[in-house]
Amino acid sequence: MAEFLAQYSIQRWMEMCPQGYLEDTVYGHEPDATEPEFLLADDDEREAAIRTTVSLVVGERCALAASSGLINAAPDYPSKRFLATQTLDEARHVEVFTQRLFDLGVKKDDLESTIDRYANPNLVKFAEVLLEKVEHGDFVAGVVGQNIVLEGMAFTVFELLEAGNREPNPKFSQTLRGTIADERRHVGFGENRIGSLIAQHPEKKAEIERMQQEMSYYMLATFSDSFSNADTKPRPQSDAPVANADFHGTNLATATPEEMEAVLANTVIGEFKTRLARVGLEYQTPTVPVPA
Amino acid sequence: MTDIDIGTGTDTDDFDPHALAEQDFLDEVHSFQFWFDSIEGYLTDRPYGRLETTVEEALDEDRRERLITTLCNYSVGETAALEGAAGLVQLAPDRNSKIFMATQVADEARHLEVFLHRLRELGVAEPESEIERRAQPALVDFKGALLELVADGDWQAAVFAQNVILETMEYTVFRLHAAGADAVTRDVLAGVIADERRHAGFGENDLGRSLAADPTGRSRLREIRSQLDPMVLGVFEGALRDVGAPTAERARLAGEYLDTVERLGLT
Repeated sequence: MAEFLAQYSIQRWMEMCPQGYLEDTVYGHEPDATEPEFLLADDDEREAAIRTTVSLVVGERCALAASSGLINAAPDYPSKRFLATQTLDEARHVEVFTQRLFDLGVKKDDLESTIDRYANPNLVKFAEVLLEKVEHGDFVAGVVGQNIVLEGMAFTVFELLEAGNREPNPKFSQTLRGTIADERRHVGFGENRIGSLIAQHPEKKAEIERMQQEMSYYMLATFSDSFSNADTKPRPQSDAPVANADFHGTNLATATPEEMEAVLANTVIGEFKTRLARVGLEYQTPTVPVPA
Repeated sequence: MTDIDIGTGTDTDDFDPHALAEQDFLDEVHSFQFWFDSIEGYLTDRPYGRLETTVEEALDEDRRERLITTLCNYSVGETAALEGAAGLVQLAPDRNSKIFMATQVADEARHLEVFLHRLRELGVAEPESEIERRAQPALVDFKGALLELVADGDWQAAVFAQNVILETMEYTVFRLHAAGADAVTRDVLAGVIADERRHAGFGENDLGRSLAADPTGRSRLREIRSQLDPMVLGVFEGALRDVGAPTAERARLAGEYLDTVERLGLT
């Protein structure tokens, strides 16, 4: 265990992040990069971007609360130190996505009301399920919920958004690439550390799988709401560059909202199945949510 | 005492955060970005807090033993600070404070890591059990008291105990220790001291603002301080003895700590 945990030390984090892929960035992107004109000039586009970014802020706030909350429950120093780097990563994500809301024209005084207005209720419930485990100091369930379920979802959503924005919005795409690099590390820790703990506590499996099932339900409900509003589908303007991005076999420039929802949900669930199996858990299928 | 050069690590361009309006100032100095720019200056190219060019000095057995005990107790203090700051992320009343506390979590975890690494360099194979064996009871009590304030959800009292009392205590001890430490330990302490200064600054600033709007706050903090002071002074006595401070110097530094806390005017 000690050898793998050395890969998650603060020192390693410093070499990879501040001195690595974040060097010379400001709020996760090139200092001079801006949101594209086609997005800022169109109220519908801008509102859709705000709605999407609010979801990212809500998810990252949950991850910040969970990772910091798990530090005191961690059973060893290396896990505490890794979770400290994750806490900082999540705070950075909160900051860069909050900054994006400001870049999209949200006034600082209106930040909380904007988040309240656009936050998806199912995403809020998803967060509550996880934070209840964290609040009870349940380290094993907390790490599965945070580093496998939440991070697994975030990782795939960020990848989809990054692919869709690579051409039309290089600023947002770069910000997302930095967060994807972080999330990859977090997921890796979850898989590596938690497998041995689940083997030590097999009696916890059923309860953790129930949590995963509940979180998956709210995740799918969030996807369903989002795509039924069609708020994340890029709608290129005549003067905007057209994204021709492939995401797991789907062309994001031409896909319908239903096709995008399907590819996103299938990709996340596929990831869950693989990662849960690696730690000795079995994916539990939730009931299919109905769009709100 | 010899002053050590820790630098500020912040950008030396014309930018002056103090010229900003209050909310803009807080947005700036409590941000991840500000933290990121700050630490770049004094931690880049210092793996585990030490310059690669710094040469390890030979330590006699007595000095090595005392250094191990000291570093074990620093690790207890940093674990308290790590767990305290992690709890304070949950309690923080606004997004700036939350993000600042997240940077403090990473700082405290780094301190713990560099002290554990130094212990291994000194030949301690299992630092965790060594820490448990050598921990000062007064420091363990202080840690318990701090985490109780955090568990009670008392942001103001916990920030006072952590970012004012604990940070001032550490700042005083670390500076004294760094002045007479071996070269590698001095490198490590220099980076830690620079962080502690930022944390103490946050505590003073945050409490200064909250106390201005809370007429009963000072007497409440005074009460908390009266409960913590005996533990703090006990920690001082042990810590200063371990770093080799003469008896007269110990009394002077304990007095310096008390004066510093008094001067902040928070109690």
